[in-house]
Amino acid sequence: MRQIKIYQDLMGENDRWARETRELLAGHGIVMANLIGSPGCGKTALLEQLADRLHQTLRFAVLEGDIETANDARRLARKNILVSQLLTKGSCHLEAKLVHHALRDLPLAELDLVVVENVGNLVCPAEFDIGEQVKIAMLSVTEGEDKPLKYPLLFREAGAVLLSKTDLLPHLSFDIDACVANIRKINVDSPLFQLSSTSGAGVTDFFAWLSNLRLTS
Amino acid sequence: MHEFSLCHTLVEKMLEEAEKLTPPSVRVTKTVLACGRLRQIVPEYLQAAYEALTQGTIAENSILEIREIPIVGRCSACGREGELDMSEGFICPKCAAPVSEMISGRELFLEQMEIEQDETD
Repeated sequence: MRQIKIYQDLMGENDRWARETRELLAGHGIVMANLIGSPGCGKTALLEQLADRLHQTLRFAVLEGDIETANDARRLARKNILVSQLLTKGSCHLEAKLVHHALRDLPLAELDLVVVENVGNLVCPAEFDIGEQVKIAMLSVTEGEDKPLKYPLLFREAGAVLLSKTDLLPHLSFDIDACVANIRKINVDSPLFQLSSTSGAGVTDFFAWLSNLRLTS
Repeated sequence: MHEFSLCHTLVEKMLEEAEKLTPPSVRVTKTVLACGRLRQIVPEYLQAAYEALTQGTIAENSILEIREIPIVGRCSACGREGELDMSEGFICPKCAAPVSEMISGRELFLEQMEIEQDETD
């Protein structure tokens, strides 16, 4: 019997695809955002708002990640924006290779921004670099105030944090100050937006931030 | 369930490494995976995936050892370097300043294996 020391990074293959994606996007001057949140936190509703408000000023496409069904892509296609559905068929997250191939099918020369709506999940999507410029963590006020502490990796890596469904606050016992404090225990610097896709409150500020994202090398 | 997807890569890399050796491995008896706590891996799921994915390979019935690596940060305010248990996130337990520098906790790599080789020649 022999013991062998190795150092073999298990993310290597995924990270290679992610690097290729970054090069591809840089070549076209496109910013890509990776939107991550629980199922039902309002990711698709926010993208519908994005389509309604910005489709004339910003050239963007959405890659919809889901385990099953093209329902979300259909919802967004009604808004006349470019949308591709990525089905993971059981996998709880998107991986870089799938995203890379989906990007190659988009008319990249005509785009400024790609938003990837990741599979609804706070754990696994945070693990996989898909070549994005920024991860955006989304948490709705119908979840728990302590979620940022329970899912530290996502909130640590997020370049922006969204607290959604704020229109429901009067009906809930959700302590938004405690939630914000918990987010700050994980991530001190990233901008935090409190918003509601239903009332429209706070949405403009977030979209302004999103449209001003610039490629950084 | 990212455990299955990660384990797939783990088994693939482990078998690749085992075949590269001279003389080639006849059997893999143990695999050691180093895994940072921030990865939120559920060891039971990973073990089940490992058992399923090694079936019919030279690593069938081998042991998967998961070496957990703690989340360690260095506080830029007071200089404390130590483990963070996440109950207070990335806040320094000594001086309450945000811990900006992470030293460990995100690792995920195949670290070690135990193999048997054909020693007849």
